[in-house]
Amino acid sequence: MMFTLASSNQNWLTRLIFRSEPASNAAVFTDALFMMIFWFSMFFFVLLMGLMIYWTIKYRRRPGVPAPVSPHHNTPLEIIWTVVPSSGLLVIFVLGFWGYMEKVTPVSGALELKVDAWKWGWNITYPNGAESPEAQPLSEGDWDFPIFYVPEDTPVSLRMSSQDVIHAFWIPAFRTKMDVYPNRYTGFTFHTPRLRADEFVTDTSGDEPRQIPGRDLWVFCAEYCGEEHSRMAATLRVVPRNVYEAKLESFMADVEPVELGRRLWATRCSACHSIDGSPGTGPTWKDSYGYEVILNDGTSLIRDANYMRESVYVPNAKIVAGYPANMPSFQGQINEQQFEGILAFMRSLSDRGPAPDANGNGENGNDNGNAPEPSDTTDGGEQ
Amino acid sequence: MSTAELSGSTHHDHHEGSYLDGPPGFWSRIWQWATTVDHKKIGVMYLFAVMFMFFLGGVAALAVRLELLMPIRTETLADGSTVVTGQILSSILGATEMSSNEIYNRAFTLHGAIMVFMFIVPSIPASLGNFFLPIMIGAKDVAFPRLNLLSWYIYVFGSIFGVASILMGGVDTGWTFYTPYSLTTDADHWRVVLMVLAAFILGFSSILTGMNFIVTVHKLRAPGMGWFDMPLFIWALYATSIIQVLATPVIGITLLLLIFERVMKIGIFDPAMGGDPVLYQHFFWFYSHPVVYVMILPAMGIISEMLSIHCRKHIFGYRAIAFSSLGIAAVSFLVWGHHMFTAMGELAAMLFSALTFLVAIPTAIKVFNWIATLYKGSIAINTPMCYTLSFLFLFSIGGLTGLPLGALATDLHLHDSYFVVAHFHYVMMGGTVIAFIGGIHHWWPKMFGRMYNEKVGILGCAVVFVGFNVTFFTQFIMGTQGMPRRYATYVDEFHVWHVVSTIGSWLLFIGFVIHFLNFVHSLIAGPKAPPNPWGGLTLEWECESPPIEHNFHHEPIVKHGPYDFDTVVPPHCDPAEYPLPERPEPRA
Repeated sequence: MMFTLASSNQNWLTRLIFRSEPASNAAVFTDALFMMIFWFSMFFFVLLMGLMIYWTIKYRRRPGVPAPVSPHHNTPLEIIWTVVPSSGLLVIFVLGFWGYMEKVTPVSGALELKVDAWKWGWNITYPNGAESPEAQPLSEGDWDFPIFYVPEDTPVSLRMSSQDVIHAFWIPAFRTKMDVYPNRYTGFTFHTPRLRADEFVTDTSGDEPRQIPGRDLWVFCAEYCGEEHSRMAATLRVVPRNVYEAKLESFMADVEPVELGRRLWATRCSACHSIDGSPGTGPTWKDSYGYEVILNDGTSLIRDANYMRESVYVPNAKIVAGYPANMPSFQGQINEQQFEGILAFMRSLSDRGPAPDANGNGENGNDNGNAPEPSDTTDGGEQ
Repeated sequence: MSTAELSGSTHHDHHEGSYLDGPPGFWSRIWQWATTVDHKKIGVMYLFAVMFMFFLGGVAALAVRLELLMPIRTETLADGSTVVTGQILSSILGATEMSSNEIYNRAFTLHGAIMVFMFIVPSIPASLGNFFLPIMIGAKDVAFPRLNLLSWYIYVFGSIFGVASILMGGVDTGWTFYTPYSLTTDADHWRVVLMVLAAFILGFSSILTGMNFIVTVHKLRAPGMGWFDMPLFIWALYATSIIQVLATPVIGITLLLLIFERVMKIGIFDPAMGGDPVLYQHFFWFYSHPVVYVMILPAMGIISEMLSIHCRKHIFGYRAIAFSSLGIAAVSFLVWGHHMFTAMGELAAMLFSALTFLVAIPTAIKVFNWIATLYKGSIAINTPMCYTLSFLFLFSIGGLTGLPLGALATDLHLHDSYFVVAHFHYVMMGGTVIAFIGGIHHWWPKMFGRMYNEKVGILGCAVVFVGFNVTFFTQFIMGTQGMPRRYATYVDEFHVWHVVSTIGSWLLFIGFVIHFLNFVHSLIAGPKAPPNPWGGLTLEWECESPPIEHNFHHEPIVKHGPYDFDTVVPPHCDPAEYPLPERPEPRA
């Protein structure tokens, strides 16, 4: 394949410029066009700066010596320096449009992924309805961002929409991005690379981390979208088809509600809501369920299941005092089963709302919204 | 006015009767400046105001670069507790409700909004343009002096709104105010509305100045000055004024709609109410793309002046440079869509890409002409010339890096990345600001009647040049490697580049401090400037340094072109020091 050839041909200059290998044919074309523009520009830049420096030294002012008479203009020269660069620009324009069409034209039979964006996160829904629960940081010590699996050597097209403001889905290795809007779909297409034999990534979804064949690509939000814009990232993980299919199957398998909730938190909620009590854009989930809270209109209530449900689907109906009305609605994004998981996870984080035991009975659950007895234990109840 | 009569009677002494002289008494002088209709005083007031805004915007830029010195990370300590590192701005500001990201977002918005609306758009036309446009065409003042004063007060009024918004906590929308983000952020506060209102008001100042200049150029040229006898700075200001008058009303309407949308929820731009956020982007860039030529055309004009005078040589391709200014102004209205290649259909993208390449051609022609002007010149190495050469170097990089942004395939990668940030800083700062600082040095002796220290000026230029490249060239590389713009934190791979870029920003700051001290020293203790220190042929060098209130003792009659160094000994200059070439040719 063309891209495997090109990637092994990356020299020091293209490595410095692009860092990542071009991961698709369209990306190889883009890099080639960029390098063509680069050398075209270098030619004119070196020529002009060379003349500038040479003449500045040669014709520097000598006291009392006038500048010799020279022509005020030269029509043939001026025509040449208009026409020659212009024809170069024409070539660049045509090639640029060519490469652009390769990126945006839908491919029949492509794997279609639905991309959802919100402040601040990404989610991808696979054709069978599965969603990836896995997450990893892009750098050590950074937040966890979701991992999206795609099979190698496959055409993929994205159908994207936003729940709130404008975002942009950028995969630098494919040299492509597109804006993501509310109320309409945008998208682009790429052909995933074929993996080389020496490419491995670490799979941490099991009990023990293990090496699997794959390549991780950065995904960034490129359209400014607010406070955590710079932490609206993800990993696009290209894996062999059999790994991809096994992953999709595992994503569909039933899990305990608490685990489902934890996974949804990690990929969807963790940008704003902590689970360790630390402050964030939104209130922490630690010791929130069952606790009283003061709203920004001065009233207070006990955070029960109804409040939590409303906060997911109509988030700006009641705002906790001291926080901005920032959260997008997850209506249509989080289904009934998923919400049950989130609720179970929230309750597991609160000493006033432990998750139900095997018989389905909470220890001191307050689902009916009555105020709980003041707790003697101030912190760190068993969970 | 009494000053004018005074200057008329005592014009043998250079400094009595200068426009800087005023009545005795501090408050009388303040009143005299506050009510002046003298284009020179208004120009000087603008100069100080825009330099103050440049300082404010620069502080915001330093804050942005400081935050980016380190990525934000959570470290787990030995005892199991965690600590967040890299939140530099919030740790400097101490106890605050805002996270470091929020402070960062406000800092880059302030940097952008101040630099665009309050500094760079008014910078050259309102300060150097106001001061020199009438003088260079041999007029006593602009066509509508009172309108000129009004536009100054509108500028001040608009800036007060902007500063009020900052003092109330600032806005985090980015200077582009993209919907729907700008409609929903800080919903409880009026800061966004105030900042948008500031930009709206400042637009009127821009329109009035543009109208004034157009009429002045048409009606007030001195006897003997045809259109092609005008200095190229005047051509550039003329083209700029046309853009200001035609494009600024569009941003006015757009910003007003944005305010209506935010306050009254009328549903034009907000998709939640059936509006179209892309419509806002079209409206916004329909102004904001032409306006980048409002920023760069006057700078190109300054470069043409400085290059010719400090090479003591006729500018190469006068008509090509003049017409390319008009050509750029015309095509600039047709390329706004190239800011939205990631938001539009294939046909529109193709058309806007083609038109974008069209605007590159007149720009390239100008650069070729400037380089050709150096050939067989008598090139002085002084601060204005160093800035001119810096401009040619930096603006060439800025222009050439526009090519991969105009080409669609590469733009999809580079759009909204650090590559774009570096590109427009090379054009706006490496182009406009460099030319502006060079122009201030060039005309400093004329404006204030005192020379500055040349060696310190060249040193400052060198530090600015190095600092600028260290700051922004690294950003090209980050951009192609995948660094998105407007990020408060980033992946580890970009750390080294960010550190280098931040160190560059400190160098830049040092460079500007050197210039500032040099100017202060010049005002206090600089040697008195002769009327024509550079040997220029344009009309401002015929009047005194600083000029008298009505500029000329007698109405000048233009008998030679602005760049006829082959045939004319510059006014006020010793022919022994400025000998003519041995084989003078008649004017072409």
